[in-house]
Amino acid sequence: MADDVEQQVEAYLNKVRRKLRGLDAESTREIVEELRSHILEKAAMSEEMTSATVAAALRTLGDPDELASQYVTDELLARAETSRSPFRMLDSLFFWASVSVVGFVVLLGSLVGYFLGAVFVLVAALKPFHPATAGLWMSRDAMGDPVFSLHLGFGTAPNVGREVLGWWIVPIGLIVGCELVILTTRLAQRCARRYRQARPPRSI
Amino acid sequence: MFDSSGHDALSGDKWEVQLRKGCLELAILAALWGGKRYGLEILARLERDSDLIVSEGTVYPLLSRLKASGLVTSEWVESDAGHPRKYYALTAAGRHRAREMAAIWARFSASMSRLLTPLAREK
Repeated sequence: MADDVEQQVEAYLNKVRRKLRGLDAESTREIVEELRSHILEKAAMSEEMTSATVAAALRTLGDPDELASQYVTDELLARAETSRSPFRMLDSLFFWASVSVVGFVVLLGSLVGYFLGAVFVLVAALKPFHPATAGLWMSRDAMGDPVFSLHLGFGTAPNVGREVLGWWIVPIGLIVGCELVILTTRLAQRCARRYRQARPPRSI
Repeated sequence: MFDSSGHDALSGDKWEVQLRKGCLELAILAALWGGKRYGLEILARLERDSDLIVSEGTVYPLLSRLKASGLVTSEWVESDAGHPRKYYALTAAGRHRAREMAAIWARFSASMSRLLTPLAREK
């Protein structure tokens, strides 16, 4: 195979490879090998493989970015559907967010959910170290309505309001925090599943 | 002036594209019914036996999705062409799904044809 033809094919495959970020090395290799096999065979169908027959084969495969994004979206949605750990989930969601608006919204929602969950767990964990200051604090605003806030307990106690749960914050914080994390993961899984089923192949 | 047909109605072309998209998965499963094939063979089959003029780039990600959902398996086979080919074959779940989709399709197209008979006659 002439060098320039080979370069032409490799340039295309490199573009695809670059956009396949987020996929593991093995999947990336398989995808690229399959596409290379397709291009070479397709280009060799005419008498002789030339720059023109390769260009034609690449044209019918379509835009490399578009092609790669079809693989990536499928793969990472499938991964998000089965991610049980928040870290794996967030990893998948960050990629999803980078390719779609829906993904971005789901990522934001999940970040809020995980953050709240983490704060509850943290407050529970810090209570033994900051018994006087950590916990759920209640104060009243100008209208006299109750305002709740969670305090990790670093520094001095707030000037206003009082701590309402006492040591109960430890079990309650742990349970509520873990529930929030689990619920957020489930919701994100459900969003990924919905989106994957609703999404038809993008071009034909 | 506003177009009275509204913006929501799909134009004929767009509708056809949607229709094709919806059928592609079944078409690929059907192309594998007779035994294992690799990507280009599947494409050739679709071009010969159907007018699902498929952008080739769409078939490969779809094959990889079918594999992820366990409907097909794949294996690399060395070829005389100098580069290995990735062959796909239906799994038991894939055969089941294909049969299920074919039955739905048959029912659907029969009822559509009945409904459309008067349109064809008038022509």
